[in-house]
Amino acid sequence: MIGKETTIIHFNVSSAKKASRHGAIKKWLLIAIALAFLGLFIVVPLLAVFSEALSKGMELYVAALTEPEALSAIKLTLLTAAIAVPINTIFGVIAAWGIAKFDFKGKNILITLIDIPFAVSPVIAGLVFVLLFGSQGVLGAFLEAYNLKIIFAVPGIVLATIFVTFPFVVRELLPIMQDQGTEEEQAAITLGANGWQTFFRITLPNIKWGLLYGVILCNARAMGEFGAVSVVSGHIRGLTNTIPLHVEILYNEYNFTAAFAVASLLALLALITLVLKSIVEYKSQKH
Amino acid sequence: MGISILDVSKRFGSYPAVKNVELEIPTGDFVALLGPSGSGKTTLLRLIAGLEGTDSGKILFNGVDYTNKTVKDRKVGFVFQHYALFRHMTIFENIAFGLKVRPRKFRPSKSEIKEKVFNLLKLVQLEQLADRYPSQLSGGQRQRIALARALAVEPEVLLLDEPFGALDAKVRQELRHWLREIHQKLNITTVFVTHDQEEALEMADTIVVMNKGMVEQIGSPEEVYQHPVNAFVYSFLGRVNELKGSTLSESTDRITDLADGTVGYIRPHEILLNKFQQGDSLPVEVSHVHTVGAVVRIEFKPLDTEEFYGAEMDIEKYKELGSVKKGNILYAEFKNIVVFGKETETPHVLTDTNRLSAAIH
Repeated sequence: MIGKETTIIHFNVSSAKKASRHGAIKKWLLIAIALAFLGLFIVVPLLAVFSEALSKGMELYVAALTEPEALSAIKLTLLTAAIAVPINTIFGVIAAWGIAKFDFKGKNILITLIDIPFAVSPVIAGLVFVLLFGSQGVLGAFLEAYNLKIIFAVPGIVLATIFVTFPFVVRELLPIMQDQGTEEEQAAITLGANGWQTFFRITLPNIKWGLLYGVILCNARAMGEFGAVSVVSGHIRGLTNTIPLHVEILYNEYNFTAAFAVASLLALLALITLVLKSIVEYKSQKH
Repeated sequence: MGISILDVSKRFGSYPAVKNVELEIPTGDFVALLGPSGSGKTTLLRLIAGLEGTDSGKILFNGVDYTNKTVKDRKVGFVFQHYALFRHMTIFENIAFGLKVRPRKFRPSKSEIKEKVFNLLKLVQLEQLADRYPSQLSGGQRQRIALARALAVEPEVLLLDEPFGALDAKVRQELRHWLREIHQKLNITTVFVTHDQEEALEMADTIVVMNKGMVEQIGSPEEVYQHPVNAFVYSFLGRVNELKGSTLSESTDRITDLADGTVGYIRPHEILLNKFQQGDSLPVEVSHVHTVGAVVRIEFKPLDTEEFYGAEMDIEKYKELGSVKKGNILYAEFKNIVVFGKETETPHVLTDTNRLSAAIH
């Protein structure tokens, strides 16, 4: 009897082993396919950017980044992000708060409106601003009368960037806030907290990781936006060129090394963003 | 603090959640708002707290009109059904929150806050948990912390929304007893919402039975249980059998002219079962027998009907009766059939057939 039992157990163990070996093969096959795809379409191009940028030596690389036009493009990109990201963060939080915590008519329409910058091609977004503020545009005559320049100037670039990057923060916060509901805020109010105290002590700490995540994505897009900015910028060297536009100009002039050198800045930004994003994700999971 | 609710109504869209409620809560009272889900009891509680605004009517605190005062001004302690503890704060910080958000002039010093928080932790018997986060606590512990947090701001009214709804039976039993004790110790006017009649009967000084946004009856647990004003209150406050049509007329013998659709009510423990016919008892067939602790429940149906009734007796009585099995024939005597007339009329308790006939006419 004992012998019989042991054989049965043996049989079960070996069949379980077989099943798990089978599972392991499937698992590694799937991972290998995913990695191969990732390598081919993402890692190789990324490496190509850096190798091309450094192909003529470090000196030329540094020179390409420090020439005045490149510096001015970097400055303008940083300025644009420095304006667009805080504005979108503030309005994003307000919009998400309003939508998640209150009930009102037209809520779904508002959510759809917020998604428009994602749905519309960035080129069209840029064109909208040209039609509005350009010299032939609706407000063109008015702006000219007061000598205000928006299109082919820095304000246009900032406006287009704000438009294109608007949904990032809202979209990130909305599900978190809807999920958390309003009970904690109500509890804070019954304990005597005012609106600001409730927001800064209860709401904000509960959404901080989601908010940071949204801000990082928003910043990455603000710095990397090409289409919309290209339409409103006018490509004036040293004045209205952002990093992506500068890369395009250099590339069109067959100045490949310089183009890739500047492009490597954007690639680097992307990498930093990814690292920050992973850290934020890791931290938010821990909470 | 005494609370007066004067003709208060509240709608959500076209749905009337609370309709013309009148309620007087004296200082120090322990009140249960009892009703099924959708009866408006939670809405009424939130109206008292100021978390919802009234559509019409007035709410007075100690005779002063508070209808349009903010939640903050009302200084009520509110305990939410799902506790609503601040998940990113420790238990200490949760309880201290109400003190820390006070304007600087009224804010106690750090050491005072600390002393107060630990006094409250002592009151709820959870001193050792000060540094934990809410997610590390059990349901019963969270409930107690939620109460400590509400008490930290020294409210004059304590409002609890289904305080024990999410807890298991044993913890619930302990916390009921404990909440009663705290109420006795602090003597703070307390209103709690529950759908559990046993909880209301066991804890409250006053029970407010609500249904469809309206108050059906207000009274002490004895009053609402012994003298329910209508069929809803009667059936909501315990197990009940409904007697209709032929069963009703047969079980009350000499009555022949019962109006159509009249319903008689009787509690399971008021049905007497015998093995032999006595007086005007009704022959019935046993369909199920089960023992729940010290109580035996016997389900049966009168012969030639498909209506099921339940009788209840303690285990001693059951032994006297002798063993009963499914399919046995017994004789049921309905001792206290209650018939309610139109809503405004007082109910008639039909104890003997002479009085019964008088009551029906």
